[in-house]
Amino acid sequence: MKKWMLLVVAVSLVLMFSACGKKAAQVAPVQEPVVEKVEEPVAQVEKPVLSEEELFQQKSLEELNRDQILKRINFDFDKYEIRDDMKAILQANANWLLKFASVEVLIEGHCDERGTIEYNIALGEKRAEAARNYLASLGLNAAKVKIISYGKSKPLIPGVDEASYFQNRRAEFVITKK
Amino acid sequence: MNMRRTVLTLAVLLLAWNAPAQDEITIRIKEGMPMIPVALPAFQINDAAVQKGDIPATIYETLWKDLEFSRIFKMVPREHYAYIPAFNPGSIRFKDWASLQANILISGQLEITADDRLIFSFKVYEVASERFIFGRNFGGKKDLARLIAHKAADELLKHFGEKPLFTSKIVYISESGNDRDVYIMDYDGHRPTRITFSSALDMLPSWSADNEKILYTSYRNLSPELFMFNIYSGKTELISSGGSNYAADWSPVGDRIVYTSSKHGNAEIYLKDMKTGQEKRLTFNPAIDTSPCWSPSGREIAFTSQRGGTPQIYIMDSEGSNIRRITMEGTYHDSPAWSPDGMRLAFVSRIENRFDIYIYNLKSNEISKLTENAGRNENPSWSPDGRHLAFSSNRGGRYQIYLVDYDGRNVQSITAAGENKMPKWQKSTK
Repeated sequence: MKKWMLLVVAVSLVLMFSACGKKAAQVAPVQEPVVEKVEEPVAQVEKPVLSEEELFQQKSLEELNRDQILKRINFDFDKYEIRDDMKAILQANANWLLKFASVEVLIEGHCDERGTIEYNIALGEKRAEAARNYLASLGLNAAKVKIISYGKSKPLIPGVDEASYFQNRRAEFVITKK
Repeated sequence: MNMRRTVLTLAVLLLAWNAPAQDEITIRIKEGMPMIPVALPAFQINDAAVQKGDIPATIYETLWKDLEFSRIFKMVPREHYAYIPAFNPGSIRFKDWASLQANILISGQLEITADDRLIFSFKVYEVASERFIFGRNFGGKKDLARLIAHKAADELLKHFGEKPLFTSKIVYISESGNDRDVYIMDYDGHRPTRITFSSALDMLPSWSADNEKILYTSYRNLSPELFMFNIYSGKTELISSGGSNYAADWSPVGDRIVYTSSKHGNAEIYLKDMKTGQEKRLTFNPAIDTSPCWSPSGREIAFTSQRGGTPQIYIMDSEGSNIRRITMEGTYHDSPAWSPDGMRLAFVSRIENRFDIYIYNLKSNEISKLTENAGRNENPSWSPDGRHLAFSSNRGGRYQIYLVDYDGRNVQSITAAGENKMPKWQKSTK
């Protein structure tokens, strides 16, 4: 939203200057909306930067999840062990969850399409469980973390290359209660 | 054929199989027996009105396709009928039909009554002996034309000592938009009927032994729970919850079910007595155990376990004891399906990211590849007579349901709209 606004302003300003510079005496109607638009970004820029706590208070569950306050992690093919490069993400997720102790979270385990339906449900569950166990090892109360497996029924992206498969082999952290 | 040679080569190269315990099952092997040539001349139609509608053609074509599908009968091509005088049910010239190599001749008669009911009669003759073998009459509403044809074809099967097949149904999952619901259709893909209506994900349906109930998994309560739907009462019952609950299979007698559940933390196989509600855990292994499937005798259960590091097929006794591994090579096998004669296990193998269906003969220890590197082929399910299998495949883009004969021949898709998968054929039909 913000970016869009800035873009409009930028384009408007360019238009305004070019209009002023080259054909100042021409076409008045072009200039009018340009002047009006300038007011909006001023309000935007003045918006205070919110602290993490204020953001948490302000945003709905849907917004928190949509903005991926808790980042998802990915897994190796056929595996459910936590990858070393995913541990920092889990640490950040754990820190946030420890900070906002009222939050309850559901970990969704997912698989890429290179598995059978039945086996992938179990594999997705193992992934979600591995994520939960890791969070618990970082001091989180596991009782507040529920898990669910969707197997391969909810891929994130439709691709059929390793990069897409990697994105689809994941655990997502869905905030279910603030 | 080239494909069959490839099948053998692949089986030898990629997979080696152990010898499972010998059992005492003796089954008459009919595979490879010559098919019986059947002639089906055009029906006699009494009512002129019938001639205008598509009912005669529907019954004729359905009956023809059923018999052609059977692998018991072989249809004498229609074009050949023109070489002999037109069929007259009043005085049948058997010698003419013998000249077309027909062994069996079917004479059909169709009328519509004043109250719009359909009456289909057929008589079956043996050409060589020039004698009448048997006949049947079927009556019903006009919109039951396909069912009447299937029933007639089943009567022919029964007469030849075979199990009825053409009135059997397939339960499956159909997806259109975000909905994934349980549907039932005829074995040939016609007359689909939706039976669940939740906006949540439904999956892995299976039939009860009496064909009156369907077990399936649904996410409607935001976790995968096992439900039982009664087709006749319309009632839905929760069977198992807590963790994930899925991949259920009814015992052949119909008193017990086996299914996978992680209600106690890990994916294990459970047995539930449907009369007493008593549950018994069958597997106790920290690895994944899933996809249980009864043997037709009810004494054994095939399942998938990752206890050896990768998912492999195992068999255990139905009390959970005497576990032995069946697949020894390869790194990924799942979805075992026991053939009705108890001799074969169909399952899915993943080799280099291809999913194909293989059939393992428990008696000869031979393995054959049923599908050939065309997309992902999954969830095999045997026909009641064991001569065919249904499976789902994305070979044509989206997942659709296909039928194939036990020897890999006659592959055909039976669904086309949306996405359709996880077929389960009824284990028997009356």
